[in-house]
Amino acid sequence: MAVCVAVIGKDNAPLYIGGIGIDTSTDNELSRQWLVHTALDALEERLVSSNTTTANTATNAARTDLRDLYLGLLYSTDTHKIYGYVTNTRIKLVLVTSSTSPSGSNIRDAEVRTALRRLHALYADAICNPFHLPGDQITSIKFDKQVKNLMLNNV
Amino acid sequence: MASQPSDNTEFPPEIIQKPLALIGLSGLDTINNAIHKTIWDAFSNNRRPDRASVRFKLLNNTFEYPVVKPKRNSYEWYIPKGILKKNWIPKRISLIPAVIVIFYDMEWNDPQCNEKIIECASRVQSIRAAVEGHATRVAVVVVQSGLSPPPSEYMLGAERAQALCAACEIQSKSLFVLPHSDHLMGYIIRLENAFYDIAQNYYHHETKNIKQHRDHLNKTTHQYLFVRHQFKLGFLNEMKQDFSTAHKHYMHAFNNLLETRQVDTNIHEIRTVAGYLNYKLCKLLFALNLPRDAIAQLKNHIERYKSRIGPTELLFEHYAWVARQYSAFGELFDEAIRAGLPAIQSQHPGFYYQYAAQFTVKRRQAMRSVCCEALQYPAPPDPMEGIVEFYGQRPWRPGRLSADPHDPQKEQGAVLALQYNERIFNHSAMIISFLGCAISQFKTFHSPRMRKQLVVEMANEYYYCSDYGKALTLLTHMLWDYRREKWWFLASHVLNRALQCAYLSAKVQDYIQLSVEALSKNIQVPNNDKNRIFRNIMSVLNCTIPTPEPDIPNTSQNKAVELWHNVIEKDPLLIAIDMVNISSFLEVKTKFLQSKYRMDEGIVVEIYVRHTHNASLEIKQAYLTISSNTETIEIQITKEGIPCFTIQKDKVHRFLCHFKSNPQDIGSQLHIRNVSFILEANQTRKIIFNFKIEDNKSTNLFVHPELLHFIMKPKTDFEFDCIVPSTSAAIMSRECQLSMSISNNVPALQGEWFPTIFTITNDEECPVFEITISLSLVSSHDNPNPESVTELSLKASESQTQPLTINVANINQSSSYSNKFYLKSNKTASIMVQIKVSYFIAFNETPRLQCMKEFLTKITVIKPFEVNVNFLDLNFKPITKCFIDDAFIVLPQIKILSPWPLVILDTELENIDCLEHCDDESQSCIKNLEVNDEDVASDAVCLRAKNMPKDLPTRLGLYNIKWKRKEETDGLFVMSTTALPALPIDNCPISIEVNYPEVVELQTSVPLKCVLKGNTNIPVRLNITVEGTDSYMFSGYKKFSVTVPPKEIVELCYNIHPMVAGNTIPPRLKATLLGDSSRQDAIKEMFEKNFPHNIFVMPKYNK
Repeated sequence: MAVCVAVIGKDNAPLYIGGIGIDTSTDNELSRQWLVHTALDALEERLVSSNTTTANTATNAARTDLRDLYLGLLYSTDTHKIYGYVTNTRIKLVLVTSSTSPSGSNIRDAEVRTALRRLHALYADAICNPFHLPGDQITSIKFDKQVKNLMLNNV
Repeated sequence: MASQPSDNTEFPPEIIQKPLALIGLSGLDTINNAIHKTIWDAFSNNRRPDRASVRFKLLNNTFEYPVVKPKRNSYEWYIPKGILKKNWIPKRISLIPAVIVIFYDMEWNDPQCNEKIIECASRVQSIRAAVEGHATRVAVVVVQSGLSPPPSEYMLGAERAQALCAACEIQSKSLFVLPHSDHLMGYIIRLENAFYDIAQNYYHHETKNIKQHRDHLNKTTHQYLFVRHQFKLGFLNEMKQDFSTAHKHYMHAFNNLLETRQVDTNIHEIRTVAGYLNYKLCKLLFALNLPRDAIAQLKNHIERYKSRIGPTELLFEHYAWVARQYSAFGELFDEAIRAGLPAIQSQHPGFYYQYAAQFTVKRRQAMRSVCCEALQYPAPPDPMEGIVEFYGQRPWRPGRLSADPHDPQKEQGAVLALQYNERIFNHSAMIISFLGCAISQFKTFHSPRMRKQLVVEMANEYYYCSDYGKALTLLTHMLWDYRREKWWFLASHVLNRALQCAYLSAKVQDYIQLSVEALSKNIQVPNNDKNRIFRNIMSVLNCTIPTPEPDIPNTSQNKAVELWHNVIEKDPLLIAIDMVNISSFLEVKTKFLQSKYRMDEGIVVEIYVRHTHNASLEIKQAYLTISSNTETIEIQITKEGIPCFTIQKDKVHRFLCHFKSNPQDIGSQLHIRNVSFILEANQTRKIIFNFKIEDNKSTNLFVHPELLHFIMKPKTDFEFDCIVPSTSAAIMSRECQLSMSISNNVPALQGEWFPTIFTITNDEECPVFEITISLSLVSSHDNPNPESVTELSLKASESQTQPLTINVANINQSSSYSNKFYLKSNKTASIMVQIKVSYFIAFNETPRLQCMKEFLTKITVIKPFEVNVNFLDLNFKPITKCFIDDAFIVLPQIKILSPWPLVILDTELENIDCLEHCDDESQSCIKNLEVNDEDVASDAVCLRAKNMPKDLPTRLGLYNIKWKRKEETDGLFVMSTTALPALPIDNCPISIEVNYPEVVELQTSVPLKCVLKGNTNIPVRLNITVEGTDSYMFSGYKKFSVTVPPKEIVELCYNIHPMVAGNTIPPRLKATLLGDSSRQDAIKEMFEKNFPHNIFVMPKYNK
């Protein structure tokens, strides 16, 4: 089960952080934000290394286009596993599963991949809203609801 | 372990130390004997990793070896009192050598050799007696000067060596010879390796001994011994440097330990030993380059012991132990990395230090929950006193194995003592230290954000241990990055904690800066109580103590109030806050109304201020700082002339600043540098909000306001967001109010001094003075170097250097100044003349304002006429060459191109040396001729070649025309010169002169005389024929030869009689050169040219 989902802009500013936790008190929100924020380290490292390899092999631009957006498991702590996904516009999607709950610890890679693709689609829908300003936090209630749903469905 | 904080979970040094084979050196007198000293130094110093893994110990005669315990034949009744004895490892690593080496000075050829052998043998014997019971090997090294050859090649030596072996009862391979003269180091290393071999042998033997015990053990009572023996085997193998076998035995020990029954009384011992075993295992795995296995081992270890927490009243001990496991592993990992192991971002020692810190936090929590009552150390006897024989056993019940407490009261006292010790333990220091290690690791492994999080945790820890100053420093640094990446939630968290720290440490500057940032719309504050924060800022401004931040520890609060009392009315009285770098409740945009200002214009800067906090702000003063190349000025910002004003909530305020530019800044840029707002309540304290404005920042991050306001927002917001800051403006010189008129008769003619009159009129509203007018030529694309062909002057026919400068004292308002300049160009082109006027004017409080204006005038230069030259013979026939002494006519034709009437004053032909004028006194036939446009004036000059030129001339000469404009009355004229084209000059052996009448009457005989003159030094023979025509009869020789003597003449006379009237062709003579015929062509051409082609014959009228 995904416990937290985050959308992070291309300049690393958070656009959306949603979680289904036990409570919504500040402490839980804080640990969630720390978790997502520190996941950026691993994400950036992946992006840098994938960029340098493409630059080194000096193949054409097609290769970068075909690059898999799903980055896989970024890192895991005792309690959480953190997965990453980067869109072509450098929007970073992060999904956190709990390794303590049985459903979270046994989650398959393919499931996470699907969930993140679905999240990408939801994000695309959300920013298609003409009243949404690119680069702003996503405040859409519908988006929030759908993302929460996605986290639950992915049990 | 030195880098990490100590507590009772720390590993003893013997566990951490790398076991090395112990070799004892005896018989070396390092104090008195220099040779022995060098030998010892060679063994002990400079132990690089490539040398054998041994440790040398210098044994003196009084060294006491541990006594051997009596051998146990049966373990049947033996119950072990603990798992690992504390003294076993130290004994192994420093007391029982594997090999004892006896050094003895002896030369093989020593005369007292036998005595020496006996002495040596006795020493060996005494050593043997001292180590009685141990299987320690003995070796003998004979120290020699190295002069005698080795025993193998030296009979006496061999014999003596054998004798020595026999006397000492050692094998010959345990006898070594050490020559100390040279190559000592090489010998030492060889010896060292030999000793190492012996030591390995010894340890192998020891392990065999221990293995034998195993058969006697049973699982019920000897569970501890299974662990102990396996540990010993592991350790001995480690000393032997057999790591994989050591690992195997340690692993057995680890597994055996897991199987032992665990109760509350032995839990501490079990996990202590388990920790040591795990440490050894991980260390070996790293040494064997199996880092993944090491990590797996640690995980397994933690997993197994995580749940074995022991008695709840000592729960903190469990967490302390877990933390130690992690930190020790982190250290091992770090060491392995330093030895060359590669690590990655997701797996490096930092994580383990982080875990250690986390478990130390848990330890503190446990302490808080269980140690509340331990307020005092228990009364003596101290339960912590007492010596324990085994690792991890409790000093108050050593060696007791039974599960139930032996003495409940003593037990209780001991628990209280432990709890009390824990209570006074400084957990924060330990956490900070672990975090410090973790932070440096995360920094190394490219995890800046993880590092930041840990720094914040570290700051929190400083906060908990009341070191608010350090906490504040850390937090303010971290705040920057969260703000930059717009993680406002995290930034809020950090900021609130920093604000607490600033309050508690009474740091006024930080407190105000953080408070100001807390009022930003991006920051969330506890209870959403921004008004309180605003009031606090105002309190500090009024020199009163601010209200405390929520959720601060009570104990520190009183101290904080005291601190505030001390600082509130003291420095810093001036608090400057750099508002650009923080997110705050005030936003400022500045804008020059124009991007360029003329010198005489007033400069206006618009300042927009948006205030987002919901309390109005009283501004005492405000300043705008503008800088230019020469100076930086501060301009007061006022609202309708009043310097102090109020900024309302949620409103965009607009201020205008007017100022004048400095005349020295002409041509440079003005920049807005800073906008400052000063808050001041009473005269003591000031808070200054500085908005520093960077030039390059203006376009950065600019979102289109249309996009931003697609959704409904207050209108003032839209206006504010639409403002595009413009922070620099250029200063131009003022517009000059002078005008100029030019009067001249263009086009100018090539070569003439062409006058131009210019008139400068002062249209300014006041007089101008110190006028400097400078004239210069400007190059244009069709005339790139005007100076080379054009001259400029203020006087006609006198060249002056450019630029021409005219100084005029002053020109009054509406009056004008005129002057005339002349221009002479030898090129037909358009010439641009620049007239630059610079002057001073008294204007608007500036007594000397310099102004400048440039005027350009274009003067076209054309040719006055064109000269075309023809060459004719005396019959006016065009010729292509001339002969010496043969006259010809030069006919220059002057075609007038000038639109103005001209007067040709005179013409003159300047011929080259080999020519001469035929007329003695020649006068131009077009002298003083007045010509108009498109007229052609023809001149004619008769010339004759005197002799052959030395080389072929390029021109016949120069044709000079003196002319002037018709209206020119000053007597100035222009001399134009045209080069005449060349005409080839040839010579002829003879020259001919033909005399004949121009006009004859019909039927009347006239003479035709032809004079031939020899030009050469030799006679010329000619064959002459007469070619008659039908129109004439003639008399004379028709065909004959004639000889023309040199420089003499021959006359040929004919009478011709015309038969018809009109234009007739007379008879002609033709000559053929006899003999040398090379000049035939010239002769022929000469005859052709000189004989008349036609003669007009008048009809005869009958009267």
